[in-house]
Amino acid sequence: MSKKYGVYICTGCGIGDALDIEAICDVVEEESLPCKTHEFLCSQAGVDMIKADVEEGTNALVIGACSRRVNYNTFKFEGCMVERVNLREQIVWSHPRSEFPKLTEEEKQDEDNFDRVQMMAEDYIRMGMARVEKVKLPEPYLLETMSKKILVIGGGVTGMNAAIDAAAAGYEVTIVEKSGKLGGHVANWRRQLPTKPPYERLIPNKAKSLIAAIEANSKISVRTNTVVARIAGQPGEFTVTLKTPGEKIEFDVPYPLPEEMRVDESGKELDHEALIAKYKEYNEGRRDILTLDPNGELFGAVILAAGWRPYEPKADEFQNLGWGNADVITNYQFEELAARGKVNRPSDGKPAKNVVFVQSPGNGTDSDFPFTGSVTSMVALKQAKYVRDDYPDGRAYIFYQHMRTPGLSEYFYKAMQQDSGIFMTKGEVTGVSQNGGGLTVDAANTLLGDQIQVNADLVVLGTGMVPVTFDDPTVNLAYRQGPGFRDNAIFDKYADSNFICFPYETQRTGIYAAGAVRRGLNVEESMEDATGAALKAIQCLESVNRGVAVHPRSGDMTFPDFFFQRCTQCKRCTDECPFGAIDDDEKGTPKPNPARCRRCGTCMGACPERIINFADYSIDSIGSQVKAIKVPSEDDYSEPPLRILGLVCENDAYPALDIIGWQQKKSFSADVRLIPVRCLGSVNVIWIKDALSQGMDGVFLLGCKHGDDYQCHFVKGSELAGIRMQKIGDALSSLALEEERVAQFEVAIDEYDKIPDIINKFVAEVEELGPNPFKGF
Amino acid sequence: MADKYLVQPDVEFIKEIRGLGGDSLKKCFQCATCSVACPISPDTKPFPRKEMIAASWGLKDKLISSPDIWLCHNCGDCSTMCPRGAKPADVMSALRMRAIKEYATPKALAEAVNDPKKLPLLAAVPAIVFIVIGMVLQVFGINWLDFTPELDAHGQIAHAQFFSTWLVDLIFVPLSIWAVVIFALGLKRFIGDIHKNALAEGKTNKDKIEIKGFLNAIVKVVPNILKHRKFSECGENNDRATPHMMVLFAFIALAFVTGFFFFVLYGLGIHGPYSQFHPVKILANIAGIALVIGGALLFKQRLDKKDEMSTYKDWYLLWLVLGLGVTGMLSELTRLAGAAYLTYFIYFIHLMLVFHLIAFLPFSKLAHLVYRTVAMAYNEYSEREVKKA
Repeated sequence: MSKKYGVYICTGCGIGDALDIEAICDVVEEESLPCKTHEFLCSQAGVDMIKADVEEGTNALVIGACSRRVNYNTFKFEGCMVERVNLREQIVWSHPRSEFPKLTEEEKQDEDNFDRVQMMAEDYIRMGMARVEKVKLPEPYLLETMSKKILVIGGGVTGMNAAIDAAAAGYEVTIVEKSGKLGGHVANWRRQLPTKPPYERLIPNKAKSLIAAIEANSKISVRTNTVVARIAGQPGEFTVTLKTPGEKIEFDVPYPLPEEMRVDESGKELDHEALIAKYKEYNEGRRDILTLDPNGELFGAVILAAGWRPYEPKADEFQNLGWGNADVITNYQFEELAARGKVNRPSDGKPAKNVVFVQSPGNGTDSDFPFTGSVTSMVALKQAKYVRDDYPDGRAYIFYQHMRTPGLSEYFYKAMQQDSGIFMTKGEVTGVSQNGGGLTVDAANTLLGDQIQVNADLVVLGTGMVPVTFDDPTVNLAYRQGPGFRDNAIFDKYADSNFICFPYETQRTGIYAAGAVRRGLNVEESMEDATGAALKAIQCLESVNRGVAVHPRSGDMTFPDFFFQRCTQCKRCTDECPFGAIDDDEKGTPKPNPARCRRCGTCMGACPERIINFADYSIDSIGSQVKAIKVPSEDDYSEPPLRILGLVCENDAYPALDIIGWQQKKSFSADVRLIPVRCLGSVNVIWIKDALSQGMDGVFLLGCKHGDDYQCHFVKGSELAGIRMQKIGDALSSLALEEERVAQFEVAIDEYDKIPDIINKFVAEVEELGPNPFKGF
Repeated sequence: MADKYLVQPDVEFIKEIRGLGGDSLKKCFQCATCSVACPISPDTKPFPRKEMIAASWGLKDKLISSPDIWLCHNCGDCSTMCPRGAKPADVMSALRMRAIKEYATPKALAEAVNDPKKLPLLAAVPAIVFIVIGMVLQVFGINWLDFTPELDAHGQIAHAQFFSTWLVDLIFVPLSIWAVVIFALGLKRFIGDIHKNALAEGKTNKDKIEIKGFLNAIVKVVPNILKHRKFSECGENNDRATPHMMVLFAFIALAFVTGFFFFVLYGLGIHGPYSQFHPVKILANIAGIALVIGGALLFKQRLDKKDEMSTYKDWYLLWLVLGLGVTGMLSELTRLAGAAYLTYFIYFIHLMLVFHLIAFLPFSKLAHLVYRTVAMAYNEYSEREVKKA
């Protein structure tokens, strides 16, 4: 496609007052490109001016105006590449002339004087022109065969609700259920927590009505006694092999070699061939992940609603709570008792009129039982009510460290609190002992006193809900990175989103977790979760079918393009992709699965050969932007200003920088040049090396927090960047450059006010180091 | 408190307190705003938070014998500030009523006094007592009850011609003794219990109660009570202090007047009615007016205060106070106006109300007069609020 360029400068919003627009147009015209200005570019007249050019064939536009995060649709032109140069927020508004004065006419006479803000604007225009020259219009990646069927794993309330919701939206759904019937745990319960206002009374459990709705729904098919053997392929064309539980088949998913099998006796990593051999031996009888099951069923997206199993205390666990005594049971066992009839003591079948619900295992800490949460608080309230329903003279005690009743469930708490026979106190249960025909419960630090005792017929431990993903990948993905979700240990093995702020998302595109597999949830929350996951699955299908990315780069049409001739099979992209989008064959050649890709560019940042690129985001496009920055040397000025490159994550850091402009409270050095990147994970070290070798004095990366409470929109991007930055230090020392010239900073969007200080501090540190010795070469 | 406290919630007790106006006791979520809001709560072991917790757990033993429920003056600041809509002031009030019932004997009478359904029966009791004793005496030729009374020797209407003073005192003197005895019995247990409670909860530094020290404490406390010092520290219910003071002083004055004329009658043998210009009579009239006005104001304040729970126990006492004042004043006025039968009728009602006042004093809310005084004296004695150096 041939490009016809056009550069448009807006002089409104203070841009024209602060900058020498003519000089900027000169910069454009130096490149023999046309430059047009308008005092109100986002007005109808301004847009019409651009449109007229577009009709004349202009298709590569550089718009020097406001941030690309505002007026997005105004400056969107069909079939055109548009580069927005952020003159307003990040130059004019964040570098007020009161602090960065213009040159006076007199100063202008001396060529050794320079105007930092003007230089900044001219550089950014050059960078914009460089980028628009290097990028291409993306073309969507479309699947040859596309299934819009949704697979729901798990036939409990979550799975059933997800299926009903997806079917209601017009999608075909298949539910696979491990057991012989639908309903899950809920089907066995006496009553259920309220799901509707006034949220004060228990209601009949929902399982029955849901099962009936599923059976009556022609869009939903159900396979009981069925589990997933493997899910291969990518969203829109997942090839799924189903089997009966326990069955061994050739399409059971192979597992990656465990760490201890990857090394020889001396602890040295095995070589490639040996690893392949070991892998094959380890997965004897199972087909490789790249072999598609010819009898597999096609699905477009998957909802993981496999749920939980009750926590079963080990024989020697909770000794202080009397575990092992027949009348000390878990909340799950209590529910089973209650479902059978009036609550009786397991030991002698006598009525259990005094029941103590213990919410925390004690032992000096205030933590709750493992795998609990607000749900176990709510269950204790529910079960206390059973006691009161069964016996008018019954007493139910709840000893808690935390009583969690989120949202409207507070009304249920209040209603239970009103019951004359339900007694609650914060406190630590320190002992449960047999006392004649009953039990005595000792508690410390209660509201009623430091040391109290209560007589009980039955003690119920508020144990938790263990997600099935605790020890079983369940989804059994035929992915090179393994059959389950990565890094779930930081979420206690829940199939948690791994996405701050984005529930239902997993690290595997097209697979959405809902219900108790994701977090300890009650029925109402699970049902809501199911709806969310169903909508996510639908969103995925409706994105994949158009060849665009799902969240968080929703609608992005680009995808990684590999130049395989130069691939060295180093497998870095396969390993580092946060979403497991890349598989590889025996030789280690990557096999991209674009529909699994979230377009973060981590592979591009990882590739040492720089063979992975996106149509509008490439090693070359960013590299050219870096090269477009003018680095003044002593040849130009007796005291040349510093040049510092900032590679800025566009998800949090870039909008935070815009906020600085809007607020106009703090400014930051005008010697930095910022380039937005999709994710710090996409930063290829070549850009940093290029910047330094062209004489720039320092480079910093500005992105999201990493670690356990990471905020990276692509999970691992900022973490991987951190590792790469550490490694770059060695390369710098070999060039006789100080390691301190490269730094990485973490910010959250709400820490925007800290950014000017971070930048200024870094600039000051670089200034301290002195100019880059390569300057001027 | 090294010993473990065996918690035995009393569900019936909870239901009782709820019925007595403490319906909100289970709403507490233990934030302690109430104890902070309370203008008169002591710094050590402040109320009413601990009472709210104990009440929601039905810990009757901790509450009934607690002096703290009596230190509360029902200011209502706690109820106003409670973020949860609980009304600690009402709960405390209900607890006090429950404690009055606990320490009064016979129990059945205590139940009856606090049961609106039994009111007709209780109202009938004095009428029957008066008429039956009067009629029985007539059988023996003693005409202390005359339904067709004549004017007295001075040609004036005299209530004594209707109900002889002898008959009235024949009934009221033993009745007063009965009230005193019942109080004495209750107080003996009460003082023992509150001391035990204070020891258990660390609210006192005294091992046992010495009579002398305790009497000293009473002497110290009474002026404060008369001055309503604690009551006037109240926030929300501060405006109730003055009418309450009017009623209290009216009762004290009227008790004095009664005693004085009792002496005049039996000691000096001078029959009433007495001159309106007699200083004691003037005092009596002022007290009567104060009783009516104070009672009416308290009545109105209760009606106006929608956020406060007013139950039968409160209305019973208020009606009684107002009734005593109004019938007392009206019987005097109608007597002076010469409306013979009207004044006899009103006087009859007045006597019935006086009977209620005395006979049911240990069982009604009015018993707070005694229990609160004792509890405040005990608090003084316990040196709980003495700041440690």
